[in-house]
Order: sequence, then structure tokens, then C-alpha cells
Amino acid sequence: MFITQISVYLENARGTLREMTKILAENKIDIMALSIADTSNFGIVRMIIREACIDNALNCLKSAGLMSKKNQVICIGIPNQPGALDNILSMIEAADVSIEYIYSFNYNADGNALFVLRVMDSEKVISRLQENQIKIYSQADINSL
Amino acid sequence: MKSAHREHKIYNSPMECMSRDALFALQSKRLRETVQLEYKNVPLYRARMDAKGIKPEDIKTADDLRHLPFTEKTDLRDEFPFGLFAAPPSKIVRIQGSSGTTGKPIVAGYTKNDVAVWTEMVARAITAAGGGKKDIIQVAYGYGLFTGGLGAHQGATKVGAMVLPMSSGNTQRQILMMKELGVTMLCCTPSYATFLGETVREMGIKPEELKLKSGCFGAEPWSEEMRATLEALLGIDACDIYGLTEIAGPGVAFECLEKKGMHVNEDHVMVEIIDPITEEPLPYGESGELVFSTISKTGMPMLRYRTHDICRLAAEPCICGRTHVRMDKIAGRTDDMLVISGVNVFPSQIESVLVGLDGVSPHYMLVVERVKALDKLEVQVELTEAMFSDTVAELERLRDDIKDKIKSVVGINAKIQLVAPKSIPRSEGKAKRIIDKRNI
Repeated sequence: MFITQISVYLENARGTLREMTKILAENKIDIMALSIADTSNFGIVRMIIREACIDNALNCLKSAGLMSKKNQVICIGIPNQPGALDNILSMIEAADVSIEYIYSFNYNADGNALFVLRVMDSEKVISRLQENQIKIYSQADINSL
Repeated sequence: MKSAHREHKIYNSPMECMSRDALFALQSKRLRETVQLEYKNVPLYRARMDAKGIKPEDIKTADDLRHLPFTEKTDLRDEFPFGLFAAPPSKIVRIQGSSGTTGKPIVAGYTKNDVAVWTEMVARAITAAGGGKKDIIQVAYGYGLFTGGLGAHQGATKVGAMVLPMSSGNTQRQILMMKELGVTMLCCTPSYATFLGETVREMGIKPEELKLKSGCFGAEPWSEEMRATLEALLGIDACDIYGLTEIAGPGVAFECLEKKGMHVNEDHVMVEIIDPITEEPLPYGESGELVFSTISKTGMPMLRYRTHDICRLAAEPCICGRTHVRMDKIAGRTDDMLVISGVNVFPSQIESVLVGLDGVSPHYMLVVERVKALDKLEVQVELTEAMFSDTVAELERLRDDIKDKIKSVVGINAKIQLVAPKSIPRSEGKAKRIIDKRNI
């Protein structure tokens, strides 16, 4: 029910993001979704790439001295229409769970916009979403996009 | 770290375990000889004694040491290169020196006797850390003018060990040799040893695959927490060794496997703790500035050399059987001490905070700036993979935790900068921990 996300620690300094994207480009790794959380002195890049590229990406980042790790996040599809995101958030609110972060994909699936969701209590949110017939995308779904 | 019950090996029991009375007599005799030599052959020291109205005959016992004038590091610079030598050039067989990070370098001259004295002191240190003729000792201090490499090399040779003179650098090759030759002891700076330990892990080598059992680590101050890290990384006993080029080099004092202070080789070097302001000697147990006097060297003897290292001495007998007093780890330096907004800050305090925290490595850099007449301290700390999180909140929690602990230990508000692993430069000599950008 989860997909794998890669997070990379970057210092908030000129050129550090490019340093990372250059490594991914050289290894022909497609960034399917991307978000950056920035503070005044550091940033955390979060991204989704296809499963087959993950180990290679982690190794390449590590040998370039960049710290990265993978973790599990939820992927959902949301219709491209007003109120659709609000509808999802109302379900999470009703489950009484806090959202850590949310960001969108550069890909659509089944005519829906894909979103990455990280919450404090994943199991609770997944069951609530499923009760409401919201499709949860698996790693295999993502790999085939 | 290994077992509580251990056998203590002693290189020179008659000297290292002599009674305090016998030691006093020996020190008195050697001090008288050294004072005469200095007065006769070193014009600067003779002028200082004359200015104080002291003649060599006034120095009768070791207790009279306190009446003698001090020697300062600036004297070595001012008299560079040979002004403080007490022996003619033909008797000097070795020069060692320190780069002197600021300004002129300093050099020290050794007679054959002095090289032998220094070698013996290091041999005692290596033996105290469990080393002997059955050991393979890897020396990863830099070889050259710096006393670390040759000092450890000579001492290891003297105990009859198989010596591997790697010098510093080329870390992968160091580890390859360590593993393939079955090295049992390591001599280098504690920061380089930690770096070696980290690299061993990265290369996928387990500490059990190495035969390392102990090491003598010195040339820079380090904390108990750093010892714990180093011992765990390499699965060894890590013993501290202290020294300074002006006095001899490494081996002036060393830890035995009890690791409860460094025994000062008092038959060769007399040690005092003074109040750095009043310059009066302080009793054992009190904290002050370390002052050393060599009493068996002939090339460049030093009387009452002020180290500017802050330390304490313990006179209680050690379980190992040695009777020589022990000095604590150096608590800081009177001249490396940072005064930030009127607060005295020692880098070692910051280090003790960091090593006690999960999620950060003991590598750090202190950056001091003056912004609108206010001092600002920034502490750069390396994150570890284990602590890195995909959420900002967790990293900020870690940052605030470090800030609070530094505030409680040092008493000032520091800005904490979390930086990527390995981004703080590792040194192969003395670690550079401070960048002071203030123009005062």
C-alpha cells in the first residue's frame, strides 16, 4: 500500500540542488515527483523515482557525498477538479491524523492527479481512504507509469 | 573497554615505580645539573636568572624549582633557530619542529642522549598501552619535523615491535595494510583514528576482522566521549599520550590501561601546575596551567616551560604500580580559549556535548563572528545517516536539543548549523576546530 520515497539532505547554498539533479541526470533517472522543504540553512529534497532505479540512485548520491534515505509514503489519485483535495483532507481530518507533508506528482493516472502523502498514522488514514473508495496506488502502479 | 582485570606491563620498573623519596633525590640531582648547564650555555636563561638574583648554587633540591624563571613559547620564536641550545652544533643529532600555525616555526635540537630519553619515554607509553615485541604497530602520525611520526616509530622500535611506518594519509591503504598484516596497535591522532574507524566500517570490514587491540593517540586534545566512540569503532583500548616538541615530543606523559590520567615521566620531566595569572604553583588536584621542566636533556633543556594547557595533577598511587603523578586530559588552552561575549569557552566543552548526543558525529567546527559589536558563535555539526529524517521538524528538534545542551554547559546561545556527513574537513595532524572571524 506504500511507495518508496527518497529524501536527500542538501545544504541551503547555491548549486547544491543542481549537484543532485546532475547526478540523477547522468544516471538517466526520471524524477516522477519532487518537493523541497527548505529552512534557512538546509533543505530536504523528497522525490519519487521508479523502483528499479532506487538502489542505483542511493549509491550514486552516497558516492557524491550526499546523505539520503528512503522511506514509505502513501500515493493517492485526486480528480482534477475544484474541491477534490479538500474532500481528501476532510477524510484525514475526520480520522484525526496530522499531515506531515503532501506534494503532487508530475504524472497523472486514470485521469487523476497523483499525490504523495505522509501522515502521522498511515494505517488509520489508508483504511479511512479505502472506506471512501479512494484509490491508493502501489509501487507497481507507479513503476508502470 | 575490554576487561576490568588486566595485567599491567611496565617498561622500566625501577624508574617508573621508584619511591617518591628516591624520585625526589633523583630530580634534585638532575635539576641542579640542568640549571648549571642552562646558566652556563644559554645567554637568555642566564640573563633571566641574573635578573631574579638567582645563582645555580641556590637551586639545591627539587623544591627550589619554583624559584626559577619561566620559559615561554615566544622565547623559542625569538631565539629561533639555535638560541636556546645548550649543546654545540656538533653534539646535536636531530632537529624536530612544529609548523607554528601562526608566524615563525619553532625548532628543538636533540643530542644523542636526548633522542634516547625521548625514545625511552615513548617506549614506556607503548608498553603501558599493552605493546611489546610481539606486536605489529602501525604509525599513522605524520613523519617529518612533527614529532608524532618519528617519536612513535622510535618508541615502537625500542620495545621490539614490528613497526609499520605508514605516516599519515592514504586511508584506504592504511586499512588494507592493517588488515592484511594483522596490525595489533595503532599510533596516530585520535581524530584520524576515528576517521580510520569510520572508513573501516564503510569498507564493510568488521572490527573483529582486524587484530587491533589498542592504540596510543595524541597530539590533540580529546574527550572521554570521543574515547568511547573510538574504542567502539575499532574494538580497542584507546590510550592517551601527551607531549610537546619543546619538551621532547609525544611520551612526556601517557595513560596506562587503567585510563585514569597520564603518568608524567617524572624522572625526566618535572611537572607543575601554576595559577596562570599569579604564576604561583598550585597544589595537586587544582586546575591551572601545566608547566614542564626537562631534567635529563642536554641539547635544548627547558626550565619551567609554560604550556598554556589547562590541566590538573593527581598524586594518588595508580593501580598499575607506577608512582609518577598523573595528569588529567587537557581541559583547554589558555590561548585557544575563546572568549565569547565575556564567557570563556573551550572547544572541548562543545565536543563533550556533541559526543553525548545520538544522531551527530563528534566532528564539529566553531565559527565566531562579531555582528554589530555582539559576538555570535556558530557550531557546525555533522549529521549522521541514522539521524537524517525526511521531515524538517525532526531535524529542527535535533538542532534545538544541541542548542539547549550547549547553552546549559557553556552558558551561551549558539547558532547550530547541521551539515552533511564528512563535510567538515578531517585533519591528519591537529584538528582545526575554530574559525575566529572577529577583528578585535
